[in-house]
Amino acid sequence: MTTLSHKPASARPIPNPERSLITRLNMGTGTVVGVLFAAITYYLLRHHFSSPWRHNHGMDMTNTHFVNVTLLSTMLAWSFGFLVGIGALIGPFRWLIGKDLTAEEQLYLAGDGQGIKRYFKYCTDHKVVGIQYLVGVMVMLGVGGTMAMMIRTNLATPGSHFIAPVVYNSLVGLHGITMIIALIIVSTGPFGNYIMPIMIGAADMAFPRLNALSWWVLFTAIPVLCSAWFLGGIPTGWTAYAPLSDQAGPGMNAFLATIIIFALSTAVAGMNITTTVVAMRAKGMKWNRVPIFVIGATVSVALAIPAFPTFMVAMIQTSLDRTISTGFYDANVGGSGWLYANLFWIMGHPEVYVILIPGVAALMEIAPVFVRKPLFSYGAAIAGFAGIAGLSVLVWAHHMYMSGWMPSLNGPFMITTEFISVPTGLLFLVLVGTLWRGKPWMKMPMLSVYAFIWDFLIGGITGIYLSDVPADNYLHGSMFVTAHFHYTLMGAALTGAIAALAFWFPKMTGRMLNDRGSYISFWLIQIGFNVLFLGMFMAGAAGQPRRVADYAQAFAHANLISTIGAYSVGVGMLVLLWAVVHSWRSGVIAPMNPWGSKTLEWTVPYPVPLVNFDEPPVVTSDPYNYGRSVK
Amino acid sequence: MATHTEFHVHHDSPEKVGRRERLGVRLLIVADGSFLFAIIFSWFYLRNLNENNAWLPKGVKTFSTASSWWVIVPFIIVFIAHRISMKNRSLRVPAMALSTVLLIVGAWYQWHQVCNMPFVAQDANGRPFYNGGYASNWIIFAGTNMFHYIITAFITLGLFLRGLRGNLLDPVLEEWRQRVAGSWFTWVMIGGILSAFTTSIK
Amino acid sequence: MAKHDDQDLLPTPGQRVGTFLKRKDVSQTFGLGVFFTAVFVVLGIWVYPHWMPNVMSKEMQGNENIMIWFTVISAPIAGVVLAIAMESFINMHRGDTPPPEDGPGIKTHGPVVVIWSAVSVLFTIVAIVWGITEMNTWSADALAGSGNALVVDVTGAQWNWSFSYPAQGITTHELNLPINKPVEFRVVSADVNHSFWPVQLGVKVDANRMSTTIARTTPDKLGVFDVKCAELCGLNHAYMETTGHVESLADFNSWVSQAKANGGTQQ
Repeated sequence: MTTLSHKPASARPIPNPERSLITRLNMGTGTVVGVLFAAITYYLLRHHFSSPWRHNHGMDMTNTHFVNVTLLSTMLAWSFGFLVGIGALIGPFRWLIGKDLTAEEQLYLAGDGQGIKRYFKYCTDHKVVGIQYLVGVMVMLGVGGTMAMMIRTNLATPGSHFIAPVVYNSLVGLHGITMIIALIIVSTGPFGNYIMPIMIGAADMAFPRLNALSWWVLFTAIPVLCSAWFLGGIPTGWTAYAPLSDQAGPGMNAFLATIIIFALSTAVAGMNITTTVVAMRAKGMKWNRVPIFVIGATVSVALAIPAFPTFMVAMIQTSLDRTISTGFYDANVGGSGWLYANLFWIMGHPEVYVILIPGVAALMEIAPVFVRKPLFSYGAAIAGFAGIAGLSVLVWAHHMYMSGWMPSLNGPFMITTEFISVPTGLLFLVLVGTLWRGKPWMKMPMLSVYAFIWDFLIGGITGIYLSDVPADNYLHGSMFVTAHFHYTLMGAALTGAIAALAFWFPKMTGRMLNDRGSYISFWLIQIGFNVLFLGMFMAGAAGQPRRVADYAQAFAHANLISTIGAYSVGVGMLVLLWAVVHSWRSGVIAPMNPWGSKTLEWTVPYPVPLVNFDEPPVVTSDPYNYGRSVK
Repeated sequence: MATHTEFHVHHDSPEKVGRRERLGVRLLIVADGSFLFAIIFSWFYLRNLNENNAWLPKGVKTFSTASSWWVIVPFIIVFIAHRISMKNRSLRVPAMALSTVLLIVGAWYQWHQVCNMPFVAQDANGRPFYNGGYASNWIIFAGTNMFHYIITAFITLGLFLRGLRGNLLDPVLEEWRQRVAGSWFTWVMIGGILSAFTTSIK
Repeated sequence: MAKHDDQDLLPTPGQRVGTFLKRKDVSQTFGLGVFFTAVFVVLGIWVYPHWMPNVMSKEMQGNENIMIWFTVISAPIAGVVLAIAMESFINMHRGDTPPPEDGPGIKTHGPVVVIWSAVSVLFTIVAIVWGITEMNTWSADALAGSGNALVVDVTGAQWNWSFSYPAQGITTHELNLPINKPVEFRVVSADVNHSFWPVQLGVKVDANRMSTTIARTTPDKLGVFDVKCAELCGLNHAYMETTGHVESLADFNSWVSQAKANGGTQQ
């Protein structure tokens, strides 16, 4: 933590910490102030837009632009107000006036002595933030997953009227964005925050207050996203293509506000994680001794930092089109949907690697522990991650091969896209090399490595088809694409995250995750997942477009198979949820290092002390020095 | 959990703290830089596409090149003032005071430009719209400048107030904060120049 | 020249390979590798033609070929990866406690990394060359046919497709095409983004507002094909479909005359 090395004479000691402003603020006060700001904004704008002046100038109250301004402003006011109410601005304000937080105040903010209450406050302890992210991610996955079940239920048979098309289209778009946001943070949020600083031997992250900020900013986005449902949903997919997004109803504002808020959270979190890893590693932890999960998490967030702002710009441009009548995407006034597509995918492609890399890195962390062998070719793992991250910013327009925006660039983008398979192949080499000649201890995290290998292999090969421009003529916009990216995002990244949860559960909760529950959920999820998306490959190859509420009879067979698989996944996820909740409350107490891992987080007891280590550790080797000598 | 902890903070030296604060700010600059890249991309992409010949529809007026540049001059002055004050400690407080004032003036001027945009037309229902690609892109640059003004003014005001408190704050840490702020000032100057350059290309 | 005695005792490279292949894990992996490779080869050759619809143009055939052959080409890679994984899985250590002994401390193996990377690059280049060649073939075909092409102006609107044949002077909602005649689709949208997808003809292009995009093909088989929208365009995206027919030139001409007789537009 960044405390001063001496106490300034002027620092007013808090005579009675229980009575200062800092101690009184929490999620409740945040919500109150957030709602207050939102309400004031809403009523002010409603009044402004319905004033007689507007009438006289020929503008009517129901103008959709006024609705959009009002809603967007209200949502952003909620977010800002919440942050004010929970005390996020106290730090900056005290900096401004030159009266930095005292050591006692910082200790208080770190949650010292506050028990369970600190999870509901602006708490700077990275371990608290990690748990907050874990719960937040689980909520988002649950909401997104429920939407998925509804989608698949509607598609179980052709001509099903289970869900009306307008609701269905909203489900597809909101399922997409909920899951994308959840997956971006699924590994770096809980484990990047809780585990990573301990793994590198640090006492906390580089910017503990910004850590709390990144979580609470994200938190404010969740009700905003959910409000889309009450405002008529969205007609677009999660990609929110223009000009359909310009045309969309009030619910679109929830989507736009969510992304704007979320982009701020990710920029701050990304900067925090990167700085922590670069600047706060333990003595002796040279770069070639850094655990691979830390590398993966860092590469992922470092890629996110330049990527997400372009998404934010696209959202701002859409908002401006919808509020003040700019014409970024209106061809009548010089705009173009292709501008949106470019800005979106310049973010969108790196973003899928932001999602993928931490999941793979977690599995690379897990495999050596359970196979009791060194990670095979640490250098290839680094080259793989770096190569993927580097190339990922050069491939975006493969999402736009069929858009007609610049056919002459299709060839070059095909070349860069195909080349990503080379560093990706290195990731496979590292994992199978680690497996080779080992005798793996088959606990659930280890099982997940095999699931990943199968899932990502399918995802990768089908990606190669899609990267081929001629084949994309057939496959673009079909269910084949949907199946491909679920194999990579869900089969690889989510599988890695669930494995990471099972692996680090003992250090985060002090208990072992229920063994039987984890195995049952693993098989239900993985088998169901494969049935679900192999069925979807069938439907896509047969010519079913994606994002359709209904489909022709010819695709009935494939869709029914898919839906059956989906239900298995759903049940499996519920079993996993049960296992997590049950084990958290009353699972077997975990020993300090149940898996025999050699990374630093397993050298601290649970509950992990506030500053993690009594003495800063000194590292003398990489954490993968397993193994009898090779013959 | 609920036990009181012996809070042994492993105090990092001010050097270490300063370095990582600077890294953090530089990473945020990367994010901001990416934002600027995206809006510059938009400008040139729509200009070259000239969809429906509506980048600058006939008769639509633009801002002069001079006004595009004047609006970012405060960022340049702040950068220079800070550079000078880094070499001469006694100038720091006045430099930050001057900077804050200039930034407020700059923000006012940007706002003035927004209030006098020559390219907002009215449609058949009397509702205003931004007439053309130039117009739409211009307002985003204005917004970006405004955002930079507000953040930078916060920083200069903070450094001014902290400067007034003098030796009540750790001098080594404060010296680092001046350097970290220097990274930001350099960036907003560069960002301002890039904005001025872009918006001059009509 | 005296040889060192030891050299007679060192195994030759051939002997080393032999010993290597006889090792239990290696032979198991090899067997599994053959199995998985065969699975993927069969998958490629059988599954895609079985799942994919009727091929009614050269482009569609090209697409199907890519799906088949890319699968076959990646079969050995899938085979190796899955074989190693499966062999490891089969030889798992069971139980609640970790294995008593560590595995071999293999940190890396230079030749393996190099060969793996080289093979990766090779496959990538094969895929790129295939793709570029195919693209060039399509361009060349389009160029060759351009003088002679039947032009169809396709307009996507929320939520239907209309087809205007400027040379014939008709506008319809059904897409009929004469066999073996190059056709040039000029696609535009009346509102939001759509995507024009005559499925069995193997081409696709987005419909954008105020910007015309082009797709070209030559239908070479008689029959019915589907026209779908492949870009979410709002409420009734799922229903934005129609049919097309590839018919003989004579049938096509009589269809055109009929449409003209009905006033040049078809409901």
